[in-house]
Amino acid sequence: MKFDTIIMGGGLSGLTCGIALARTGKRVAIVAGGQNTLHFFGGSFELLGNVDGADVTNPLEAISSLDQQHPYSKMGHEQVAQLAEQAKSLLGDAGIKTSGDSARNHYRITPLGVTKPAWLTLDGLATTDRPDSLPWKKVALINLESFIDYPIDFVVEGLRALNTTVEMPTVTLECIKRARRSATEMRATNLAKVFTNTRNVAQLAEAINAVAGDVDAVLMPAVVGIDNEDASDILKAQVEKPMYFLPTLPPSVSGVRINAALRHYFQMLGGRFLLGDTVDKATLEGDRVTRVNTAKLQDTPLEADQYVLATGSFMSKGLVSNFERVYEPLLDLDTNAPKEHAQWSQFGLMGDQPFMSYGVMTDEHFRPLKDGKPLSNVYAIGQVLGGHNPLTLGDGTGVSLLTALAVAQNILDQK
Amino acid sequence: MDNNKHYDVIVIGGGITGAGVARDCAMRGLSVLLLERFDYTNGATGRNHGLLHSGARYAVTDRESATECIEENMILRKIARHCVEETDGLFITLPEDDLDYQKTFVEACHASGIRADIIDPAEARAIEPSVNPDLIGAVRVPDAAVDPFRLTVANVMDACLHGAESLTYHEVTGLIVNQNRVDGVKVRDHRTGEEKEFRASVTINAAGIWGMLIAQMAGVTVNMFPARGALLIFGHRVNQMVINRCRKPANADILVPDDTVCVIGTTSDRIPIETVDDMRVTDDEVRLLLAEGEKLAPSLATTRILRAYAGVRPLVAADNDPSGRSISRGIVCLDHETRDGLAGFITITGGKMMTYRLMAQITTDMACAKLGNNRPCETADIPLPGSEKPKSGNAQRSFAFNAAEGRHGTMTSKISMESDADKALVCECEGVSVGEIKYVVENQHVHNLLNLRRRSRVGMGTCQGKLCACRAAALLGRFNNNIPKAQEDLAEFLDERWKGMKPVAWGSTLREAQLTATVYQGLCGLDKAITRKEGSK
Repeated sequence: MKFDTIIMGGGLSGLTCGIALARTGKRVAIVAGGQNTLHFFGGSFELLGNVDGADVTNPLEAISSLDQQHPYSKMGHEQVAQLAEQAKSLLGDAGIKTSGDSARNHYRITPLGVTKPAWLTLDGLATTDRPDSLPWKKVALINLESFIDYPIDFVVEGLRALNTTVEMPTVTLECIKRARRSATEMRATNLAKVFTNTRNVAQLAEAINAVAGDVDAVLMPAVVGIDNEDASDILKAQVEKPMYFLPTLPPSVSGVRINAALRHYFQMLGGRFLLGDTVDKATLEGDRVTRVNTAKLQDTPLEADQYVLATGSFMSKGLVSNFERVYEPLLDLDTNAPKEHAQWSQFGLMGDQPFMSYGVMTDEHFRPLKDGKPLSNVYAIGQVLGGHNPLTLGDGTGVSLLTALAVAQNILDQK
Repeated sequence: MDNNKHYDVIVIGGGITGAGVARDCAMRGLSVLLLERFDYTNGATGRNHGLLHSGARYAVTDRESATECIEENMILRKIARHCVEETDGLFITLPEDDLDYQKTFVEACHASGIRADIIDPAEARAIEPSVNPDLIGAVRVPDAAVDPFRLTVANVMDACLHGAESLTYHEVTGLIVNQNRVDGVKVRDHRTGEEKEFRASVTINAAGIWGMLIAQMAGVTVNMFPARGALLIFGHRVNQMVINRCRKPANADILVPDDTVCVIGTTSDRIPIETVDDMRVTDDEVRLLLAEGEKLAPSLATTRILRAYAGVRPLVAADNDPSGRSISRGIVCLDHETRDGLAGFITITGGKMMTYRLMAQITTDMACAKLGNNRPCETADIPLPGSEKPKSGNAQRSFAFNAAEGRHGTMTSKISMESDADKALVCECEGVSVGEIKYVVENQHVHNLLNLRRRSRVGMGTCQGKLCACRAAALLGRFNNNIPKAQEDLAEFLDERWKGMKPVAWGSTLREAQLTATVYQGLCGLDKAITRKEGSK
C-alpha cells in the first residue's frame, strides 16, 4: 500500500500531524497501537507552565529562556506563536472547543485540587485566572457515592485552600449502584457511559438540584458523556446553578473524547487509521526509509514518501531501555541518554528525573539523527523527542501539538 | 496510656522477635508493653525472603540451626497456618555444581530430622516448570513461604488480646538505670514529638541489629556484626516451589514464591553499624542477584523486576570473644544480670525469623524466672489469631474474600463484605477491598499508607501502587479524619516504592516509573499539593 505520509503512532501528535497533512489532500496513514497518553489527560493543553520551578505567566515570552535542545527552541518564537494559533483552530475544527491564550496562561484544577498553569482548557471544565483563588465564593462539589477513583476529600481540601467555601453534598443514584456491583467498574469512563443515557442524566440533574443549596457554582468530576459533549450539555441545561466539571484520575473522559474527535476528523478527511496495529520494522536504504511492516500486515509492506515517528516516550514504548542502554526500537536512532543506567534516574520520584528528558535527537527540521546524520525522509514529533522534561516544564501536550504541526509544515514545504 | 503504670516487662523492638516475646509474656500472664520506633517489621523482619526454612540449607554446616528450623517449621504450619503457604522446596544441582554434595546434603537432612527426597530431574521439571532445565539433580524438602508482616501482626494482636499494650512510632532514646538495675525506658513519640518514660521490672532488648545500640545505652557491650543482604522482587510469581542451589550456602541461591510475586536473594556483606539505616541497594548487588537468579529459573531474565531491597541480619559474636572471630547464627539470649551485673535487662538476638518463637520462649523463660512466674510456655500449641481453623476453602467466595482470607485467616469474618461499597476493590493486583482496609485500620495500628501496605498488601503487587495508592490514601484520610496528612502520606509512599525501584529502573520498571510520575506529578500536581501545605504551616 502506498501513501504520501505514514505516521507511526496515533496519539495526540500523530493525529494532529495526520490531520494537518490530510487537510491539504495528502494521502496519510496512521498506524496506532491503541491506548495513548490522552488517557492521562488533565482537561487542559499546556504550552509552557513552569520554568525553573516558577509558574509561567506568558508562555510565548518564556520560551526564550529554554535550553537549545528544547523542541520549541528549534522552531523559534515566531513559529511557536503561529503554530499555537493553528493548533487551537485545528482542535476547534475537530470539534474540540477550548478557551485560552498562548500569551497568557490560566490555571487548571487537577484531580487533587491543585492549580497548575494551562494554555487551552476544554470548554465546560472549571478554570481560574489566578493560582491562589477561584472565581466563586462558595461552591458545591458533588460527591458521587462510592466513586473511590475520585479522591474527593483531597479536592475539597485543595479548593478550600483557594479561599472558597466548599460544600460536598453526596448524590446516590440507582444507576450508579448498578455500576457499583462489579468491584472494578467504578472508573471515570464507566460512569461516563452510565451518564450518556439521557434518563440517567436527568436523574443526576434532579439529584444535584435537590442537594446543591445556595452556591455560586456546582462542580462535579468530569464523568458525563463518553462520546461527545451532548450529555454534559443536557446536564448543564437541567442543573439550576452554573455548573463546571473537574478532571479525574485516569482514564480521562475528556482525553478519550479528544482522541475520538481527532480520529473521526482525520478519517473524515480521508485519512487511513490502522487501529490496533504497530509498525514493527522499518527498512532503511541509505538515509531513507523505503517501507515499513506492521505486526498485522506481515506480508504487505506500507510505503510512503515521508515517515513520521510519533511513537511516544518509554510509557508508549517509543523508547525502550534495558540493563545496557536506552534506544529507539524501530530505527535505533541517536538518543540523548547516557550509557550508564545509574544516571538515568535519581532518588525522589517527583524531582527532575533525567529519563523524562530522554528521546531521539533531531536536526532543526525534526529529522532524527542516526549515527550523527539526519535521515532524509523521516521526522520525529511528540514525546519521542528528547530535550525537555514535560513534568517539570509543563509543556507535554504543547510539544506534541506544535512539533506535529511544524513537521506537517516541513513536509508540505518540501514539494 | 498511663505513664505511671509499672509493667512486668517492656519489650523493645516490633520485629518478629519482639512481637513473639510480647505474645509469650502476655500469655503467661505478665503485664507487657511493646515499643517499636517506626512500624512493625521495619527492620530485618520485613526485609528477607519470606522463606519458611525447612532447615535443609543449614543441615550440612550447622546441625543445631537445622534441627531448630525443622521443629519450628512444623509448629508454624500449625499455629500460623494463615501466614504460611505450603509450597515445598527443591535443592537443585546444576552442571557446574558437584553432584556428590547431594548425598552429603541428604544424609545431613535426615540426621537433622528433615524430610529430603531425591527426585529425578525430569520430575523436578514437571512439578516446577520454571526450574533451570539443565539441572542434573534435585532434592525435595519441606520448605514453604511465610508472610513476615502477617506473622508479626498476628503475634502483636494476640499479645494485645492477652492484655499487652503496644506502641508504634515510639523510639527508645535511653534506659532508666538505677544502681545496677534497669528500671525502664525513655522514649520519644515520633508522631507527637513527646518525650515519655515507662517503667518495668524487666526490660527486654529485642531490637535486632539496633539492639547493639540499645545495649550501649545501658552501658553494656554486645558485639554484633551487621550482615547486609540484598534481594530482588519480580513482577509475578515465576515459581510455585522454593528453589535453592544444592551446594554450600552462597549468594543469591534461593528463589521464593510470595503471594503474587517471587523473591531472589540474598547477598551477604559485612557493613559498619553506622550504615545499617541506609537500605539502598547498589548496582553491584543487583548484577549479582540477576546473574545468580537466572541460574535457578532462566525466565527471571525476561521477568520485570519490581524492586530491590536490603535488610541487615544481627549476627552475634559468641560471648566472651571480643575479637568477634567466632560468629554464630544461633540464638543468643543474654542475662545482663549474671553477665554484666546489670539487673532487669535481657538481650535476645542472633537466631533467625524461623526460630522467633523459640527465641521468645527462651527469653520469656528467663524473664519469668526473674519475676517468679512459673507458667509454662503455650505458644507452640495455641494458634495465632487467624489460624484457629483451616481456611474455608469456599470457592464460591469472591476474589477479594479469598485474598483477604489468605491474609487474615479466620479473622476475615470480621471484615465487612456486605455492601457493594465495602466490596469495592481498592487494590486490584492484590484484591484488597474497602472493607479490608477498614478492618486493618481499626484493628492493626495503621497510621499511614506504609502501615496499610504491610497489613493488607495494598500497593505490593504488579502496579506497585500506581492507582491504588491514591484510592487508599483518600480512604485512610477519611477513616483517620486527617486529609492533609493523607496527601503527604501518598507522596511518601510513592517515594518509598521508588526507592526500591530506582536501583532496577530500566525496562518496564522505568516505564512504570514514568507512568507514575506522569499521573501524580504531571496530571495531579501532588508535588505542588505537598509544598502548598508546607508553605501554609
